[in-house]
Amino acid sequence: MTEPTIREALASAVADVLESMFFLEALGETAEPPPETTTVTARLSFDGDPPGCFHMRIASPAANTIAADFLGEDAGSLTPQQTTDVTLELANMICGAVLSRLESSATFRLGAPHIVEAPPAQLPPEEETRYTVETGNGTLTVSIQMETRTCLATEKFAS
Amino acid sequence: MAYRVLIADDSPAMRSFVRRTIELSGFELSACFEAGDGAQALALLRSEWVDAILTDINMPGVDGEELLRRLAADDLLRNIPAIVISTDATENRIARLLALGARGYVTKPFRPETLRAELERTLGVPCD
Repeated sequence: MTEPTIREALASAVADVLESMFFLEALGETAEPPPETTTVTARLSFDGDPPGCFHMRIASPAANTIAADFLGEDAGSLTPQQTTDVTLELANMICGAVLSRLESSATFRLGAPHIVEAPPAQLPPEEETRYTVETGNGTLTVSIQMETRTCLATEKFAS
Repeated sequence: MAYRVLIADDSPAMRSFVRRTIELSGFELSACFEAGDGAQALALLRSEWVDAILTDINMPGVDGEELLRRLAADDLLRNIPAIVISTDATENRIARLLALGARGYVTKPFRPETLRAELERTLGVPCD
């Protein structure tokens, strides 16, 4: 599977999920935010052919706005747990949409997404394929690493 | 006519979204129940009749596949149509879930009109 193919799947999945489920039009690809930006990072593992890991890093203001839109509530009234739940659901949907584009005739299984409490300053190992988009309230970066063995076994298939 | 629907999903955010999406789509609900997994869904179905079940696949404990198996094995519940809502759009998975008894399948992400159309198709609601 080539990197352009995977990047195209990432971009397409992000746009589709944001538009369909969050009523939000992505404002185009942009540079990754500097490490000091306040963000929320979610991670999930998946099994399939090949297996791998998916990461999503979203600016905190963007996470709050997206959660409010998703739940139909005012951003100021959201609890941290609600924002977390929606962030995890967003990661789950984007990862599933990416894999469905890459492996439409195969079967994959998604692990339970979880928040990375102490994310590294940068998401990447360099071999990961990544895509960053501007949401209007901050950036959303997604990255996927195929055929990895670095994901923790305990992360897999918890749900 | 208004319908009674059960939403089974371990994500409270997703349950809330599905419920709101159904309402926004104009599909009439007279009751909407929620369950955090298949076991809760089955327990609720012992006391509440519903017209349709919307279920996730990946849930802790009794997951969506097992819920479909248990519904199919239950004389009282097997005729309630179940629609799977999942991020998994792979052909094998869809075929597997339909073989287990799902009457419909909606892939996330979806639009409100898609969910409404699948509910109406599954319930045999005449088109406007």
